Amino acid sequence: MHERNTISGAGWIGILALAVVLLAVPHLVSFSQQELLVFLTINVLLVVSYRLLTLTGEWSLAHVVMMGVGAYGSALYSKLFGFPVPLAMLAGAVTAGLIATVLSFPLFRMKGFYFLIGSFAAGEVIRLIWKRFTDPFGGPKGIQRIPGFPEIDLGFLRVDFYQPENYYYFVLAVVLVSLWVLYRIERSRIGLTFHAIHWQDKLSESVGIDTFGHRMLAFVVASFFAGVAGALYAHYLSTVNPNQFNVDTMVYVLIWTIVGGTSRWYGPILGVIALTIIDEVILRGIGADQWRPLLYGAILICAILFLPNGLESLVIRAGEALRGRSASAVTGAAGAEQE
Amino acid sequence: MTSASKISLNRRTLLCGAASAALMPVVGFPRASFAQEDVVKIGFLAPLTGPVAAWGKPGLDGCKIWADWMNEAGGIEIGGKPHRIEFASYDDEDDAGKARAGATQLIRESDVKFIMMLGGNSWPGVEEIAARQGMLVSTLLPSDLTPNTETLIAPCEVHPIYNVTGVDWLAANRPELKTAVICAQDDALGKPSVATYLAAFEAAGIEVLGDPLFFDPATTDFAPVMTQLLAKNPDILCLDTCYADYVHPLCEQAFQQGYKGQIISCTLDFYQRIVERTSKEFMEGVIFQFPDFDDKALNDPRINFRKPNDFYAEYVKRYGATEWSAVSWEYSSIMDLWADAAQRAGSVEPADVLKAMKEGGKGKHAFGEARWWGKDLFGLDNALVGDWPVVVIRDGKATIAEFRSIPDWWDKHGPLLIKHMTDLGQMWSQRT
Repeated sequence: MHERNTISGAGWIGILALAVVLLAVPHLVSFSQQELLVFLTINVLLVVSYRLLTLTGEWSLAHVVMMGVGAYGSALYSKLFGFPVPLAMLAGAVTAGLIATVLSFPLFRMKGFYFLIGSFAAGEVIRLIWKRFTDPFGGPKGIQRIPGFPEIDLGFLRVDFYQPENYYYFVLAVVLVSLWVLYRIERSRIGLTFHAIHWQDKLSESVGIDTFGHRMLAFVVASFFAGVAGALYAHYLSTVNPNQFNVDTMVYVLIWTIVGGTSRWYGPILGVIALTIIDEVILRGIGADQWRPLLYGAILICAILFLPNGLESLVIRAGEALRGRSASAVTGAAGAEQE
Repeated sequence: MTSASKISLNRRTLLCGAASAALMPVVGFPRASFAQEDVVKIGFLAPLTGPVAAWGKPGLDGCKIWADWMNEAGGIEIGGKPHRIEFASYDDEDDAGKARAGATQLIRESDVKFIMMLGGNSWPGVEEIAARQGMLVSTLLPSDLTPNTETLIAPCEVHPIYNVTGVDWLAANRPELKTAVICAQDDALGKPSVATYLAAFEAAGIEVLGDPLFFDPATTDFAPVMTQLLAKNPDILCLDTCYADYVHPLCEQAFQQGYKGQIISCTLDFYQRIVERTSKEFMEGVIFQFPDFDDKALNDPRINFRKPNDFYAEYVKRYGATEWSAVSWEYSSIMDLWADAAQRAGSVEPADVLKAMKEGGKGKHAFGEARWWGKDLFGLDNALVGDWPVVVIRDGKATIAEFRSIPDWWDKHGPLLIKHMTDLGQMWSQRT
């Protein structure tokens, strides 16, 4: 099938509108919501990278730990070895990719439910290593006073990345580039092969596709970008500890992904944005701090009952409705002309 | 005009109405307000949900009583003018990221003059913003203190150092007990507490059998943990500073596995539930460190906490006796200290209050006169330390057995505590 690569006029308007929103949003929200915006943008990268792995049909419980590998790696490279922070971030993400490469060998001997459990065990081993070895990982208290992203001082312009609005723009740039790379991977031959492995792995093998290699590739690339997310997180918050990357956090990633939907690249993004706004802005805003877990749970149940295909199904339905309306308008206009 | 009978409620109207109602407080209701200069806002940044909520929420409940009483009495007089106290709370879920967002909201949006935190996991997220804004912050966990945290104080609970008083009292009153085992969750709260108990047992001549047992915080089945501990046949079972979610099943397991010896623990939150699930006989003599405030011993003139018995009665009336926990009174006692310092300073500005608070190197701690201390252990003297109660369960009820002096113990055994803290990597200079 020939893939359409051109963007329509309406598409360009949509992209422009989105760009304006993304650039303007820090100036439209409160100070504390600016902080949330930074974490939300990082979490967008986390869930989209997770989706890349799920394309091969495997659901991992180690993805948040891979984020932690990036965070710990970047923190240690900058703090212990004196790497400049941008280089430490990259090195942290590469470390996450390398750890994923090593883990691939035992983990991809398993599939489905067994892979899920295996990935959980592998993640716990890494997390317990952080806890057990106070030197260099800081034990249960983790690593503190991690250097922040360096200031930019051009005399006439000073950018302090401790300020959330400045760090947001930096994170946004990194995340947009990462999303573009992940999107291109999915739309490439490799991405199609991931889909093929998901739906017909035996058939794929029979036509010469290296299923192990492709699964490993998806795991490594997803872990690399999770590592990027972790590095962005660590240098903003100045602290990492093993509890931040435990299974509870992983459950949130799963919820965001499932509620958003996984059949489109934007599904998990919708999930993480909608649920974060509900939990952190609306429920806190109405003063329901202590009721948040209960209300959040109720909203999740409703989402699963009424939107079993995720929030993305709303976008798909809206798109179909719009196309249907414009098609009927065209048909109607043509009919009128004939008369 | 539309008559009431003609109004129909379809699903769309209902959903729109519900969404609007939900969003109204976010968008903003018109609110009745007092003159800004007469209201002082205090931030409460602690876990209100999740596994550590037991050390946050009861404290906020106590603060509500404190504020109601204070405001009913006309507020705090600062600079010759009465001021109302309002609390602004934020649930940090014991997470540094949430704590950072919360601190930003409290400082930059709510304009609070002082923030009370549980500390621990959440403090690193707040450290830089507090330093940049010069915000006075209190923690219940002095292990957050370092030489750089000049605006962070531990004015109530010098956790875990006060645990030495329980062991000291036990050694003096039950000298026949010679061996102990220790277990704790493997986290930032468990480890310094284990170091303290190791030092206290060593100072008291009590042998600790084997290494302390650190279990993962994700543990839900405590039967194997208890089996392993009881296999050493100890005289004393030490539950360290375990969260309530661990202390309860650990006690139940000890009961079910037939343990008959002495139990000592830092906290015993909601102990009535443990008594119900085990027995009064089993719990008789259990030692911990946090009294119920209906205890008559708290009416002693040296106690600085205002009307402790009335406070407990009001707390029980509002929230129920089983909701009382170790922290129910602690944040309120910090507020007593803050209010006293603000009155003396004639200002609510954080730097002025801190200066007044530390004037003369002494302060009015809830349990009596205390001194600002901590340089040897935390790198600066920002912990207020004095006497601390030893609490014993008698006939199913927590009772203060005695107040013991932490500084006296420290003067005799300080190097021992530093040795065990160093062995477990808990000295401020060892924290990465």
